[in-house]
Amino acid sequence: MTCLEVASAAEGIAREESLFSASRPAAFLWRAQQCSIVVPRARATRPGFDKVARRAAQAGWPILMRSTGGGAVPQGPGTLNLAIVAAMPAGAHIQDGYDLICGAISEALRRFDVMTDTGAVDAAFCDGDWNLVAGGLKLAGTAQRWRPIDRGASIALVHAAILSDPPPRSAWPVLRTVETLAGAITPPRRDVHVSLTDLLSDAVNPANLHGALLRAAKDRLQRITQLSPAAAPTHRSGNRHSRAVASA
Amino acid sequence: MATDIIIPADLWEEDEDAVITSWLVNDGAVVEAGALIAEIMTAKVQYEIHAPAAGVVKIKEGADAVVPKGAIIGIVE
Repeated sequence: MTCLEVASAAEGIAREESLFSASRPAAFLWRAQQCSIVVPRARATRPGFDKVARRAAQAGWPILMRSTGGGAVPQGPGTLNLAIVAAMPAGAHIQDGYDLICGAISEALRRFDVMTDTGAVDAAFCDGDWNLVAGGLKLAGTAQRWRPIDRGASIALVHAAILSDPPPRSAWPVLRTVETLAGAITPPRRDVHVSLTDLLSDAVNPANLHGALLRAAKDRLQRITQLSPAAAPTHRSGNRHSRAVASA
Repeated sequence: MATDIIIPADLWEEDEDAVITSWLVNDGAVVEAGALIAEIMTAKVQYEIHAPAAGVVKIKEGADAVVPKGAIIGIVE
């Protein structure tokens, strides 16, 4: 199985945070069957959040919390999540985390003749400089959480939410309300996004794409893991810096 | 002796500021060295701030404050 199918995004997030807490290098894909909107945990402290959350749940989009940064992200059957837990060596910058996950996704998609680059997209949900963009439209958003370890090394949880299908129309009013509460100047708009369904040939087997994404992520993760002594070992061998990258 | 709680100066390359998204302890709280005490966000990265020493936390910059790299956001004494 290359993609972990979970009922709720809460389960996928819990799996990510468990591996992050354990400082265990890993790369895995997950997808939730139930629709939800996921926001950074700090959003819950904003005045008016409870009211917005109740309305969102009534609209079929309950709000869940995550530990990474950014803005509101739609989750459900149309969102494919790639999570990487990486031991970042001393001197690494947060850009290295974004290079890791954006590079992996771009490399995998090139195998299916989909060309992407990175950049901000005005009016995209959870916008940032490290969106994966195809033809000027947002295909995936990325975010991270970092924990310093010692001697300058860190553990990073790097996450990408890839649109495999367009979010349902019912998601957009909820996304706009949640982002407006957070002070967004430009509310998210549907027409600045694109999905894998729009970009991939009908002949592409999703399992092959999932396999390519995981291989690219694990290859890059293995290279970073070998540079850092920070992570808890997941596989002992004669070389104490030799570590296996886990599939979750 | 007071120990500064500092936003890392070398975590990101650009001159962007960070936002203190939350303090996870109250002003005056007693903490152990290494305890998770605050979170900051920059470029969609939540970064954990841990207590640099054991003692009493004195918060200098509250939640939602915008702070540059290398800023002192509190002390532990």
